Amino acid sequence: MSNQKKRIFQIEAFKNRVVVDPKYAEKTWKILEHAIHEIYNHNASGLSFEELYRNAYNMVLHKFGEKLYSGLVTTMTAHLKEISKSIEAAQGDLFLEELNRKWNDHNKALQMIRDMLMYMDRTYIPNTHKTPVHELGLTLWRDNIIHSGKIQSRLLSTLLELVHRERTGEVIDRGLMRNIVKMLMDLGSSVYQEDFEKPFLEVSAEFYRRESQKFIECYDCGDYLKKAEIRLNEEIERVTHYLDAKSEGKITHVVEKEMIANHMMRLVHMENSGLVNMLLNDKHGDLGRMYNLFRRVPNGLAMIRDVMTSHLRETGKQLVTDAERLKDPVEYVQRLLDEKEKYDGIISLAFSNDKTFQNALNSSFEYFINLNSRSPEFISLFVDDKLRKGLKGVSEEDVEIILDKVMMIFCYLQEKDVFEKYYKQHLAKRLLSGKTVSDDAERSLIVKLKTACGYQYTSKLEGMFTDMKTSQDTMQGFCSSHPELTDGPTLVVQVLTTGSWPTQPSITCHLPFEMSALCEKFRSYYLRIHTGRRLSWQTNMGTADIKAIFGKGQKHELNVSTYQMCILMLFNNADRLSYKEIEQVTAIPASDLKRCLQSMACVKGKNVLRKEPMSKDIGEDDSFFVNEKFASKFYKVKVGTVVAQKESEPEKQETRQRVEEDRKPQIEAAVVRIMKSRKVLDHNNIIAEVTKQLQSRFLANPTEIKKRIESLIEREFLERDNSDRKMYRYLA
Amino acid sequence: MLLFVSVSSKAKIKGLEKIDRLFNTYANSSLGMIDPEGIEALCSDLGVDYTDVRILMLAWKLKAEKQGYFTQDEWQTGLKALGVDSLSKLKKALSDLEKEVEKPSNYEDFYTYAFRYCLTEEKQKSVDIESICELLNLVLGVQFRPQIDSLIEYLKVQNDYKVINSDQWINFLRFCKEISFPDLENYDATQAWPLILDNYVEWMREKHS
Repeated sequence: MSNQKKRIFQIEAFKNRVVVDPKYAEKTWKILEHAIHEIYNHNASGLSFEELYRNAYNMVLHKFGEKLYSGLVTTMTAHLKEISKSIEAAQGDLFLEELNRKWNDHNKALQMIRDMLMYMDRTYIPNTHKTPVHELGLTLWRDNIIHSGKIQSRLLSTLLELVHRERTGEVIDRGLMRNIVKMLMDLGSSVYQEDFEKPFLEVSAEFYRRESQKFIECYDCGDYLKKAEIRLNEEIERVTHYLDAKSEGKITHVVEKEMIANHMMRLVHMENSGLVNMLLNDKHGDLGRMYNLFRRVPNGLAMIRDVMTSHLRETGKQLVTDAERLKDPVEYVQRLLDEKEKYDGIISLAFSNDKTFQNALNSSFEYFINLNSRSPEFISLFVDDKLRKGLKGVSEEDVEIILDKVMMIFCYLQEKDVFEKYYKQHLAKRLLSGKTVSDDAERSLIVKLKTACGYQYTSKLEGMFTDMKTSQDTMQGFCSSHPELTDGPTLVVQVLTTGSWPTQPSITCHLPFEMSALCEKFRSYYLRIHTGRRLSWQTNMGTADIKAIFGKGQKHELNVSTYQMCILMLFNNADRLSYKEIEQVTAIPASDLKRCLQSMACVKGKNVLRKEPMSKDIGEDDSFFVNEKFASKFYKVKVGTVVAQKESEPEKQETRQRVEEDRKPQIEAAVVRIMKSRKVLDHNNIIAEVTKQLQSRFLANPTEIKKRIESLIEREFLERDNSDRKMYRYLA
Repeated sequence: MLLFVSVSSKAKIKGLEKIDRLFNTYANSSLGMIDPEGIEALCSDLGVDYTDVRILMLAWKLKAEKQGYFTQDEWQTGLKALGVDSLSKLKKALSDLEKEVEKPSNYEDFYTYAFRYCLTEEKQKSVDIESICELLNLVLGVQFRPQIDSLIEYLKVQNDYKVINSDQWINFLRFCKEISFPDLENYDATQAWPLILDNYVEWMREKHS
């Protein structure tokens, strides 16, 4: 090795152009074409991936991409046409299977082909904006198989047939369905929609239309809804198993429309099984189902709500105007409470506490409770009954529950001021006769009323309780400062503050000497402590316990009213007294006197007196004697009754009149308040504002408001505006 | 319309003298003012009935405070404003007065005055129905005959109100002016009309149904 120069290793380009053998492209293509054939014929195992890749690579490199691509298209298309024929040839049920199998094959083939031609996929195709291999494979499949004349319609009808069979109860091959459907989805959403989904929805609509028609004729409402629910769930399940998730909303919409929306009216109003029947029978399950189904369709819930509302209003109206029911106020209110509880139950259990239903319930109750103007009085009587005896022995929590329920009904009243008037009367009677079951319950209710209506509403009621307590203290002071009075009749005085208690102007009757002396002592004691006050004895409100010994030595203790005591004491000094004599000596007002005498002389078991003549009514010429033969199995006999009762017609008129009178100053005060702050306001707005301000007490009548405004104009609190007659102006 | 232009005080005094003399013709000397008797006499001299609406207009022009009486001040001011100082001139002025009252700017003032004039007692605020009916007839009867006849009929029949106050009175005029009659179509009871008119309209509608 001598004279070897060190040479830098160089690579030089070919000095002469390499001419590619024109036949080279054709030859290479033939190799690849053959490979594709083999792949489709399941003979891929004999191929060398590396070699094929290289061949494809070279073709593209040497600018024969076009040939390769078009060759691919041609070859693939030819194969697909073959495949198409074999699919077409499949008989009956095998059609889908064959399609499925060929589809799987095609996908596998496509995979391999794509791998093989990856270089082309990555370079030639993007550069020429041609369809990539995989996508090309799908498109060709779509065009040659799915959209081939003989296959397209057959495929669709097969799929629909299977769905139909499944709907009629047959079991189908869901896996196969899923694959086919997935195939359609893979081919593009428009393929899925056009070639399957749209017709599917149409056919389903037709199916459910027919089915619902059949069902509505032979099933009652509850059963029909069960069927509809089943179908709905089936469809949802079908989608999860073998359809595109996006189809769920569409198919459920079809079922909802055909099975529910189209028959809503008929279902709700179905005789003996519709909504009203379900409500009457508390069919919570059916109602819940109806609610859940109907909420899916437009106006579904509105329809339920409307029917419920009108039914409730009608039922309620009957309740409050039923003459039988009106005889017993306690029963009346109990029925209202029961109705409320029933519907509360329905709304919470079946209507998932839907607020709009709650509102419909409230407005309905408000509507019918106020149809009967005696509702406030009756509710007060109900409470009176409960506080007097109904709550005896009931636990504290249960008491709260009952009172809360009553409060809910109370809140529906528009004329809360009427209730207040009655409540005051009834409370006064309860307090003064000591007949309340639980002080805590009484106070608890007052608190609830205060929360609902404000401090002013209950201030007088609370005043009544305070008076009772103060009276106790006063009595203690009186007794301890007059120890000499321990022998002799016991006096218990309740001092009532005028204004807090319901006023009943009355003349003081003449008390028996024993009592009047005692009362005087009390009066002087009290006025010594509270100079400047005035006391007047309310003899129409008191009670007395008298010990009596009758003709045969029977001893009894009689519980009577003050008036009755005055009458009875007279018989200590006289055997026989005429009506006129009694009237004169006692100075008891005639109507009260007659009532007292009647309860003592004409009522079995309480007839401590005898009268001549023995007629039922008290006449002015009657004479009275002690009933020496009086007998009662009880030692203590209650003769007087000071229990709260439903008012008689004239009493009711009187109370109503007093309420109306009380409202006038309230309206005026509201008008003045509003005008003072607004200075100038038009007529309609005043009416609206006044109504709103007084809403918590009563519903103000626009005519009445107008009258009050005119009265205020006359008294120069307001004037009409000179230029705009609609406006009123505040006069400072 | 003032005829007297203060050029010479002498002339003024002279004119005033005549007015005063006229005043004294009718005045009750012990009272120092014209009383109802005097007014009656004045009316017969003027040739009008003393219930004639023109006497009311005269009272309005005089701004007479008390019904049935004219004070000297009122007389002087009024006659000066009319520009008259003799009975014959006064007679002529009466017809002019009618036209003056009818002017829209004066009419409402006159109408309101008519009501006030009826308030004879101190602190009186309302006028009894009978008198109101007569007054309505007198003051509005000519211009709004059908409305007034119908309204008067209603007032006599209803028993919600025994007296009418000034607010209600002024609204009678507005009613006649604004509400179409007899259909009462544009009457809106929800507006700020006095309740008595709401009731009247309801009564009318029932009558005609």
